[in-house]
Amino acid sequence: MDSFSSPSSGSSPKFSTDDIMSQLRTQLEQAYAEEFLETVRGKCFDKCITKPGSSLSGSESSCISRCVDRYIEATGIIGKALFNQR
Amino acid sequence: MDPSSMNSPELQNLLAPYDSWILGKLLDAGGKVATSVKLYLTSVIEYFQQEKQKAMISEMISKLTSACWDKCITGSPGSKFSSSEANCLTNCAQRYMDMSLIIMKRLQQ
Repeated sequence: MDSFSSPSSGSSPKFSTDDIMSQLRTQLEQAYAEEFLETVRGKCFDKCITKPGSSLSGSESSCISRCVDRYIEATGIIGKALFNQR
Repeated sequence: MDPSSMNSPELQNLLAPYDSWILGKLLDAGGKVATSVKLYLTSVIEYFQQEKQKAMISEMISKLTSACWDKCITGSPGSKFSSSEANCLTNCAQRYMDMSLIIMKRLQQ
């Protein structure tokens, strides 16, 4: 594929497919990360902040930490369940 | 990719839509330039198909995790999952796939 990235004329290419593909990968990764973040925020807010006070309590903070860890773990469990059919 | 596979019907079918617009723009130097472009396009197409597949799988995992979390993690999150929570998550994903199959079969009747 690389041999098609630069024309033999020697002028610098306006784009190369390798660049486009790696940009696509990066943008996809960013989109997934944002979507994941938004989901975790929603879930953990629901679970841990049941009665919002004037500041985050210690138990709310530790609940949030555990919640994030558990959600990441849950994602792994689901992934495995889908591709490791019993 | 060996040049002898260039004449396979599968490849021709895959590339047919691209023939007219791209080949129209090329000088066909004994077919060599057109062949190089076909080789190139094939690998690009394969790459995008793989990325699309990966994206669909990611999306499915994301949706399922969200739905199964709601179904299975009923109390406050602990420092680890209980075995019933972990089993519930696994079952949830697999039952979802079972259901999906039933739905497809039903729609085909």
